[in-house]
Amino acid sequence: MILASGITKRFGRTEAVSEVSFQLGAGGSLALWGSNGAGKTTLIRCLLGVIRCRGRASIGGVDVRRHGRHARALVGYVPQELAFHDDARLGAAMMFFARLRGLPAGRAAESLDAVGLSGHERKRVRDLSGGMKQRLALAVALLSDPPLIILDEPTSNLDAAGRGEVVETLLRLRSAGKTLLFASHRPDEVVSLADRVLVMERGRLFRDTTPGELWPTTKPVQLVRLYLTMASEADAAEALREAGHAVHLNGHGLCVAVARDRKAEPIATLARRRIEVRDIEVLEDVQIPEAAR
Amino acid sequence: MRGPTVYRTAGAIVLSLLSARGARGQAAPPEPRPVAEVRALIDAAGAGEVVRVPAGVYQGNLIVSKPVTLDGGAGAVFDGLGEGTVIEVRAEGVTIRGCTVRASGADVTSEPAGVRVLAGSATIESNIIEDTLFGVDLREAPDSVVRGNTITGKELEPGRRGDGVRLWWSHNCVIEGNTVRGVRDMVFWYSENLRLTRNTVTDSRYGLHFMYSHDTTLEDNRLSHNSVGVYLMYSHRISLIGNSMLNNRGASGYGVGLKDCDDIVIRRNALLANRVGVYVDNSPSSIGSSGLFESNTIAFNEIGLLATPNTHENVFTGNAFIENEEGAATHGRGRLASNAFARAGVGNYWSDYAGFDLDADGIGDLAHEPRSLFGAMLANEPNLRLFVHSPAQQAIEFTGRALPELRPESVLVDPSPLALPPTIGTAAAGPGADGVRMAVVAAVLLSMAGACVLGMGIERGLPAAKSGGRS
Amino acid sequence: MSTAHAHAGPDTFPAAPSLLGGIGRFALREFRDALASKWFLLYTIAFTVLAVGVSFLSLSGIGSHGFAGFGRTAAGLLNLIMLVVPLMALTAGAGSIAGERERGTLLYLLAQPVSRTQVLLGKYLGLAIALVCSLCIGFGVSAGMLAWRTGGVGVGSYAMLVGLTALLALAMLSVGVLISVTSRRTAVATGAALFAWLTLVFLSDLGLMAGSVLFKLRVQEIFGLASANPLQSFKMAVIVSMNASLDVLGPVGAYASHTLGGALPLVLTASLVTWATVPLAAAVVLFARRGSV
Repeated sequence: MILASGITKRFGRTEAVSEVSFQLGAGGSLALWGSNGAGKTTLIRCLLGVIRCRGRASIGGVDVRRHGRHARALVGYVPQELAFHDDARLGAAMMFFARLRGLPAGRAAESLDAVGLSGHERKRVRDLSGGMKQRLALAVALLSDPPLIILDEPTSNLDAAGRGEVVETLLRLRSAGKTLLFASHRPDEVVSLADRVLVMERGRLFRDTTPGELWPTTKPVQLVRLYLTMASEADAAEALREAGHAVHLNGHGLCVAVARDRKAEPIATLARRRIEVRDIEVLEDVQIPEAAR
Repeated sequence: MRGPTVYRTAGAIVLSLLSARGARGQAAPPEPRPVAEVRALIDAAGAGEVVRVPAGVYQGNLIVSKPVTLDGGAGAVFDGLGEGTVIEVRAEGVTIRGCTVRASGADVTSEPAGVRVLAGSATIESNIIEDTLFGVDLREAPDSVVRGNTITGKELEPGRRGDGVRLWWSHNCVIEGNTVRGVRDMVFWYSENLRLTRNTVTDSRYGLHFMYSHDTTLEDNRLSHNSVGVYLMYSHRISLIGNSMLNNRGASGYGVGLKDCDDIVIRRNALLANRVGVYVDNSPSSIGSSGLFESNTIAFNEIGLLATPNTHENVFTGNAFIENEEGAATHGRGRLASNAFARAGVGNYWSDYAGFDLDADGIGDLAHEPRSLFGAMLANEPNLRLFVHSPAQQAIEFTGRALPELRPESVLVDPSPLALPPTIGTAAAGPGADGVRMAVVAAVLLSMAGACVLGMGIERGLPAAKSGGRS
Repeated sequence: MSTAHAHAGPDTFPAAPSLLGGIGRFALREFRDALASKWFLLYTIAFTVLAVGVSFLSLSGIGSHGFAGFGRTAAGLLNLIMLVVPLMALTAGAGSIAGERERGTLLYLLAQPVSRTQVLLGKYLGLAIALVCSLCIGFGVSAGMLAWRTGGVGVGSYAMLVGLTALLALAMLSVGVLISVTSRRTAVATGAALFAWLTLVFLSDLGLMAGSVLFKLRVQEIFGLASANPLQSFKMAVIVSMNASLDVLGPVGAYASHTLGGALPLVLTASLVTWATVPLAAAVVLFARRGSV
C-alpha cells in the first residue's frame, strides 16, 4: 500500500527526514515512534505529498509527487488536531469534503452518523470539543471509504475517554481490512494497534521493529514525566534511549515509559550523565495489552 | 453623452447612402447633358427672369453673367467632373436656388469652389453643395444672402480642404440656416455687418472663423466636433449670443477662441465638453476696449477658461462654470487678476466653489479663489495632464492645500460667486430615454449579484442520516 | 506491494475529483466564506454608499442640463474606483492563502485529494465572484439611482465602466494572491498588499510624474510606462470608452490616440488582462513549487 524510498526533507540547513525507506503492505498497521522533532510528522506530510521532498513515495502504486491528487484519493488523513474554518458549520464542512471527493450528500450524513456526530450538523467547528473534532476528522477521513488511513498523533490532544473512542474506532477499521499508518508517542496505543513500529530519531529510521520487541515486559508500564532544564532535554533523551527507554519530548518535560517497579531508573541514568532532574511526576498507568504481543 | 466614433461613422455612412439614393431616385435621366444647355437657357432669358432648369445632370463649368434666378427645382445637378469651379456668378443680383452642385476641382492653388460669387447682391439658397473644395465663395460680393444650403466638403485630410463658406470683402451679408460638414472653416475676411444665425458646422477645423471682420452678431449657431467652435481673430465689436459649442476638441479645441479682438460680447452661449471652453489670447488688445462674458454655461470642458497671462479688462458675470476639469487657467505662469469676475455684485457660479451662503442671498459669503497645485504644475508641464482623474492628482492637490509654502497663487478672484447655477436658456442635448435603459442596467447588475448570492452563497442542509441517532 | 494491488484494484478506489470540479468546490467554499465574512459586507456597503454618493453629486452638478461630459464628478467616480477597488481586491487576495496557512487549515486542505493548483485557482475564482458581486451591487444601486433621477451617463459607457472595473478587480486580486502565496503570515501579506496598493495608486504615478519632468521623457515613453500600471490602463480605457479619444489627457493622450487609433482600447485592455493573468500564473507556479505548506 505504501512504498517509500530515500525520503529526505530539509528545512533550511536541518534535515527533518533523511533517507527513510520502508514498505507497508495492504492491511498492515504501522506505527511511527519517536520523540517530538524526530521527523514523524514531516514524514507523514511527505507521504501525503503535501510538502515536496526528495526520494520516491507511492500510495497504492500511485506516485505521490506526480499524481498527488489521485494518490491522496486513496488516503483518509487525520491530523493531530482538526484545523478547519472555525466558523464553518459541521454539516457544511462535511458537505464540502464529500463534494470534494465527488460523493453524494447522503454519504456525508452517513459518515457523520458513523462517528456519532449526527444531530450536531448546525454546530460550528469552533464549538466542538477536542474529542468531537477528532471524530469529525475521522468522519472526513472515512468519507470515501479509503483503503489507507494516515493519522498523525490522533489522540495527543484528547483525554482518556476520547483516546479510548479513537483507538476503538481504529481497531474496528483494522479488522475491516484497512491499512493504517500512524504516529504516536503512547506505548499502549502502539501496542494495541500496530503490528510494526518504525522508530525514528532525528529524521533517521532508527529501528524497524515490532511492539513486542520494543516493550518486552508484560508488567504494567507507567509514564513518568521528568522536568529538566531546557538545555539538557535533548542530551537527556539521548541518554535514556541509549539505556533502552522509550522517550518522548513534548514541551512540558520529558516522558519516559518505565516498568512500575523501576521508576527511579531513568533518574539514576541521568545522574550518571550529570544531568540534573528538577522534578518528577508520575502520570498514569499504561496497560500494554497481552494480545498485542 | 457623445457616442463612440463607430456609431457616428456608421450614422454618417447610412445618411450618405440615403442621400445618394434620394438624389438618384428623384432625377436620374439616362444621359448626363452638357452644361451648355443651361447656358443656352440663361442666354435666352431676360435680365431678372427666373430660369427653371429641368431635372438632370449637367456636366461642366457654368458661368452666370446675367442677373437671373437659376432655379434647379431640387432636381438639377451641376457636376463639375472634378475640374475648376462648378458655378461662377459674375453679375450682380443673381439667385441660385434648389440646385445640387458637386465635384469641383481639388487644386488648392486655384481654389475651385462649388459656387463662386464675384458680384454683390447674390442669393445662394437651398442648394446641396457636395464634394467641392470650397463650398460657397463670396469675393467682394456685398449684400448677399447664403441661406439654407447643405455643404459637404471633399474627403480630404483636413489640411488640404477648402472652406465651406468664405466671405472676402463682402459686407452686409446674411448667412443663415446652413448646414456645413467636413470642410476647413466657415470663414469671414474683411467683411462687416454680417448676420450669422442658425448655422450648423460639424467635423471641420474652425466652425466660424473671423479675420479682420467687425460689427457682426452671431446668433443661435451650433458648432460641434470641430477643432474650434468659433475663432475670432483681429475682429472687433462682435456679439456671440445663444450659440452652442459642443465637443470641439481638436488640436486647439476651443469652444470660443479670441485673438486680439476688442469689445466682444459673449452672452447666453453653451460651451460644453470642449477641450477649452473659452480661450482668450490678448483680448481686448486696444486701450479703452473691453470684453464681456455674461450668462454663459461653460461646462464639462477640460479647461473652462484659458487665457494668456497678459489678458485684462474682461468682465465675467452670471456665467455658470460647471464641472470643468479646471475652472480657469492661464497659459504659462500668470494670473487673471486684471479681469473682473463680478459686475455690480454679481459673480459667476463655480461648481467647485468651496464656500457657503449663510445669509441665503444667493451670493457666496467667501470669494472664490481656486488654487490648484496640480493645475499650476500642468501650466509648466503639459505632459502631466496624463495623470488627471487619478488618486495621484488628488494627492498632489491635497499636498498643495496642506502645505502653504507649496500652495500656488489663485488664478482668479471672484468676489461674489453665485451660490446656485443661474438658469440660462441655452439649448443643450437632453439625455433622452436613458432613464429606462439605466434602470435595466441597474436591474441586470443587481439580479446578477442576487443570483450569485442566492444560487451559490446559501448552504444546502445535510440530509439526515438513515439512523439519525444523536450522540 | 503486489498484495496491495491485489487487495484493491484501481477501479475500486475512490477517484479524485476532476480538475475543474475541484476548482469549483473550492470556489464555492471561498465564495460562501466571503459572503459570511465581515470584509465583504463592509466593502460592499462602503463601495455602494460611495458610488451612490458620487453619482448623486454628479447629478446635482449637471442639473437641468442633462448633458454629461467627462467632468469632475465623473472623474470622482473614477477616483473612487481607483482607490477602493484595488484595496478590496489586493487585501482579499493577500488573505487567501496566507490566512489558511496561518490558521493551519491549508495543510488539511492539501491532504485532501486535490492539487495545489486546484486550491489556488478555486480560491481565486471564488474571491473573484465575490468581488464582482460586490461591485455589481454598488454599481447596480447607483445605476438605479441614476435611472430614477433620469441621469445623464450613457448606458453603454456605464456598462463599459462596470466591465473594466471588474477587470481591474481581477487584476488586483491576481496580484494579491501572488503576494499571499509568497507570504508566511497574514499580517505580512496584508502589509505587502497595502504597500502594493500604495505603489500602484500613488507612488508609481508620482514617480512617473517626477521622472517625466526630471528626465524630460518623451510622450511615447511616458505613455509606455503609464500603461504598464494597471490603474492608469484602467483609467485610460474608461476615458476612451466614454470619450472615444484620449485627447482629454493632454499631449500624451493625444499621442496614444493618434498612433494607436482603434487599437488603443485593445492595448489598454491587454495591459489589464496581462495583470490579471501573469501574477496568477506566477502564483500557481510558486505555490506548486513551494517545498513546505
